[in-house]
Amino acid sequence: MLGLVAAACSGTSSAGSAATSTLTVFAASSLTAAFNQIGPGFTAANPGITVTFNFGSSTDLAAQIQSEGTADVFASASGIAMDSVEGDPGVTDRSVFATNRLVVITPPDDPAGIASIADLAKSGVQLVLAAKGVPVGDYARQALTSAGILQAAMQNVVSNEDDDASVVAKVTSGEADAGIVYTSDVVAAGNAVRSVTIPPAVNVVASYPIAVVVGSTQSQAGTSFLDYVVGSKGQATLKDFGFGPAG
Amino acid sequence: MALASLGAAFVLLPVVALFVRAPWSRLGGALSGVGASTALRLSLEVSLAATAISVAVGVPLAWTLARGEFPGRNLLRAAVILPIVLPPVVGGVGLLVALGRSGMVGRWLHDALGIQLTFTTAGAVVATTFVSMPLVVLATEAGLRGLDRRYEQAAAAMGGSPWYVFRRVTLPMVAPQLAAGAVLTWARALGEFGATITFAGNLAGRTQTMPLAVFEARQIDPGGAIVLSLILVVVSVSVLVALGGRLTGLR
Repeated sequence: MLGLVAAACSGTSSAGSAATSTLTVFAASSLTAAFNQIGPGFTAANPGITVTFNFGSSTDLAAQIQSEGTADVFASASGIAMDSVEGDPGVTDRSVFATNRLVVITPPDDPAGIASIADLAKSGVQLVLAAKGVPVGDYARQALTSAGILQAAMQNVVSNEDDDASVVAKVTSGEADAGIVYTSDVVAAGNAVRSVTIPPAVNVVASYPIAVVVGSTQSQAGTSFLDYVVGSKGQATLKDFGFGPAG
Repeated sequence: MALASLGAAFVLLPVVALFVRAPWSRLGGALSGVGASTALRLSLEVSLAATAISVAVGVPLAWTLARGEFPGRNLLRAAVILPIVLPPVVGGVGLLVALGRSGMVGRWLHDALGIQLTFTTAGAVVATTFVSMPLVVLATEAGLRGLDRRYEQAAAAMGGSPWYVFRRVTLPMVAPQLAAGAVLTWARALGEFGATITFAGNLAGRTQTMPLAVFEARQIDPGGAIVLSLILVVVSVSVLVALGGRLTGLR
């Protein structure tokens, strides 16, 4: 955290063509892989502006922005977390830049025999979800409700994790039989997980809003970053990492 | 003096802030909303079990380290201390690959004996013990090293068996250090977070101890997280003050 404060304070002082500044972007942990590629791409397109990321649960990040105020840009996995930041300290240029869907994941050897979301209700399945209040955790409960198996599935929950990355970790380590995460997580995890599609009728589409945080000393660079993310290059990278288009 | 005040203020400020920011007006609601009593009961069970195991295994280990003459003793001591300096999450990952359902030893436990530690209270105890045991080992070893061995030699010369000498002479003499070490172990166990959530997971009533409950409550109810934190502060301070006085009295 101190490092971020230092990074956020260090920019904008030098003058001339060699001026460099650091843009601090708070982003949902599901964006980690995609944004780690978008960051250097943005710097290449905007020489002199480097980007540092703080990844975490969107809810956590919103709370950090409100108490620390060190973020220039906030990219959230949920509208609710963004609403909270929009209320305090406020945001500008808010728009949806990506969408994500839910998917069931299991270890590659599928120890519990999960063929569909309905199988998560089978007795004895060790299911890991993100905690209530974490966007992907709330979405997962929504999907389980739509599938009509919320109660039975909740009986199978063995752990409530802090974010989607932790859910993936519990499944890739082979400890849990199944988890519910974003399709983008499956792209990041590669062969370490097997995925089971959730039908559109039951699935939840998560919209990712992005905005410049009011009080940022780098709002101009922030706007450039937003433009890059919603532009063709940013969108192509997001697509590579399993995200859907904003529309 | 000024530096001492600064040090004290630094330690106290977060605790004071917790008291100031606590949602006193809706304390009851916040308490029931975040399942405080379940988490507190589990925390006490897990931390006491971890302390008991740590003492049972840690005292013989301290004895070996203090009295044993064997190659690699210093290496063994370093290994025993390691959990203190390792980030607990690293300990959790280590426990996963060792004792997890598909871990080196855990695979066998699971397949042959049907035992799974991950996602269970027993797993939380294992993770907590891993992180907190070094404290009682170190304290007891220091006690054993500082001991005047002539008392033990005299007891042995008068015909006491090694076990008798250990029980009636050695153990009472290192009791203050052992007790201090046990209290530190318990305090560390009560605050354990990283290894537990990594290895055992986070489920109310099964693996969600107080620190994990605080962590989860931040997402849903920040006020509730403060209330939970305060309970942990009050419980820890009460026990440390009560036992601390007795410990120094023994010295």
